[in-house]
Amino acid sequence: MNKVYIGIDVGSVSTDIVALDADYNILSTLYLRTNGQPIEAARQGLKKLKDELNGDIEVLGVGTTGSGRQLTGIMVGADVIKNEITAHATATISLVPGARTIFEIGGQDSKIIFLKDGMVTDFAMNTVCAAGTGSFLEHQAERLGIPIEEFGDLALTAKKNVRIAGRCTVFAESDMIAKQQYGFSKAEIINGLCEALVRNYINNLGRGKKLEPPYVFQGGVAANKGIVAAFERELNHKVIVPENYNVMGAIGAAILAKEYIERSGKSTIFRGFECTELEFNPTSFICGGCDNSCEVIKVEMDGKVVAMWGDRCGKWTNSLV
Amino acid sequence: MKVAFPYMGTTVIYKKLLELLGHEVVEPPEPTQRTIDLGVKYSPEFACFPLKVVLGSYIEALEMGAETLVTSGGHGPCRAGFYGEIHKKILKKMGYDVDIIVFDDYKRDIMGTINKVLRVKNGKPWRTVWRAIKTVYAMAKALDGIEKRIGRIRAYEINKGDCTKAWQAIKEKFDKVQTVEDVERAEKESHQLLDGITLRPVPDSERIRIGIVGEIYVVMEQSINLRIEETLGGMGAEVERSQYISEWIDFHLKPGAAAKEHELKILKKGEKYIQEIIGGHAKQTVGYIVNFAERGFDGIVHLMPFACLPELISQSIIPSISKDYNIPVISLSIDEQTGAANVLTRLEAFMDLVRNVKITKTA
Repeated sequence: MNKVYIGIDVGSVSTDIVALDADYNILSTLYLRTNGQPIEAARQGLKKLKDELNGDIEVLGVGTTGSGRQLTGIMVGADVIKNEITAHATATISLVPGARTIFEIGGQDSKIIFLKDGMVTDFAMNTVCAAGTGSFLEHQAERLGIPIEEFGDLALTAKKNVRIAGRCTVFAESDMIAKQQYGFSKAEIINGLCEALVRNYINNLGRGKKLEPPYVFQGGVAANKGIVAAFERELNHKVIVPENYNVMGAIGAAILAKEYIERSGKSTIFRGFECTELEFNPTSFICGGCDNSCEVIKVEMDGKVVAMWGDRCGKWTNSLV
Repeated sequence: MKVAFPYMGTTVIYKKLLELLGHEVVEPPEPTQRTIDLGVKYSPEFACFPLKVVLGSYIEALEMGAETLVTSGGHGPCRAGFYGEIHKKILKKMGYDVDIIVFDDYKRDIMGTINKVLRVKNGKPWRTVWRAIKTVYAMAKALDGIEKRIGRIRAYEINKGDCTKAWQAIKEKFDKVQTVEDVERAEKESHQLLDGITLRPVPDSERIRIGIVGEIYVVMEQSINLRIEETLGGMGAEVERSQYISEWIDFHLKPGAAAKEHELKILKKGEKYIQEIIGGHAKQTVGYIVNFAERGFDGIVHLMPFACLPELISQSIIPSISKDYNIPVISLSIDEQTGAANVLTRLEAFMDLVRNVKITKTA
């Protein structure tokens, strides 16, 4: 019987699940598309995980992270519900000892995290625009008719440089169309896009900060060789892409769950794999109590309200004891 | 004459002053999404967020029948100094026949200020005015002391929301005071109320203290800053702000050098990084970060209205202060576009960072 800690990262684009054993060995990793249905994705993922490990496992702890961390955490009964910045940093500290700067580019946001002596010292998160994120690249790949998986390799074949305005998705797209009309090849346009993304990322998130190697690049976009190459050109330094770059958040969540359980001596509140069978129903409504018109999220499990949030005044959140 | 004022922080204080002077006071409601929507709709797009919310708040007060608005002006070359004029123009254009009395720095226009004082004085004898001022000043001091205490204990309340509920009750209690003696009684009762809140015992080594600095409106007005004090309290942090109304009165309005000492001392602390008053609260922000760091606070949350020039300047100074004093600082810019999810994620991560730094400092 395997004793495992499970980490679940429910992001905007992908839902990642990993299982770690007590010695931090990664037993299983899953990378699924969220497709706008975080609950369903987590459910499918857990079922798959159980099958993959032949059901012969004892879950000692569960951690969730990502934008869907709260909802998923409630559904599965997570011991730790952590923000993705801490989760990503935790995984990198454990898997790439000595790392100083983490570039993390996900589906909808991007982050830069600074580390020193195995500790987060500073971080920044994109706040203004999605121009530097995975969804944007995916959208552009689709527009050019190139599968996102081939995007990076194609960028590497570019022979000439072309500069694309990268500040904002709207400008980037119109600039790309213009450059296409000037006769640049698809490969060159894509390479220009990779460079614009990196330039934008570093100017935006790294502004006024000292970037020190070793650099680690993770998140779904790290699969893109064109972006990795653009980072290396911009920094004039090697960039490490860890083996499990696309599930680092989930690994971090699992490690945090393990640390929490070991430190607190508590046993897990995981609802068991049967939780995937429970009827789990999140709904939302506009509260009419005042002019704030808060969008309140209500989660019911088997007909019983288990969580509410989203109200500014706490009227609904506090209604559950 | 029905009088209203801009909504900011503990408004029961301004309300009381106008009431004691015999005005019929229209208290605008605490800003809600509707207030923000109204303000945004009628303000120039690039005006800063406080201007927009205050405009929305004025419109709501006018809808409730207010005829005159009383407000303070700004100091230095910050856009805030022009708010009164802009608001007047926008409201006129919207068809409201409204009178705005703006109290600017009295040294700039002594006669003008006297005229304004006479209007707000409302024909009451000076004795009444003096009594009103004394009562309201005592009230501001008492309420700020109570609010600071709540900032210290909220993180440890066993029943979530106890402190916020108590604070609501306390403001209602103070709404009824008439004299300095009433204030003293209300203050005592309020502290007793807080004594009754059950707190979780926490060893000194695990206390996390966060200082909140930045532009006065976004620091003081909880309805538009994601209730930052409650949010941080819920994450287990004690909080203290850089701005409290009684301290503002001491520095800007109370005559005599002694009253200004506290603020000047703090401004002085920032002078290594910023010498000039550049408008807004940039110099205060920088001084207060140094002050909080020296007092052993564990982290700083810096709030600014989106694109606020003075605070952008303090933001650019912050990395060097943060390094010199080894204190983590997070800057959050706030406006009508602020998404709560993004800010909460960053605050959570910031609290993890602050805890880690504290562990390494004490180890």
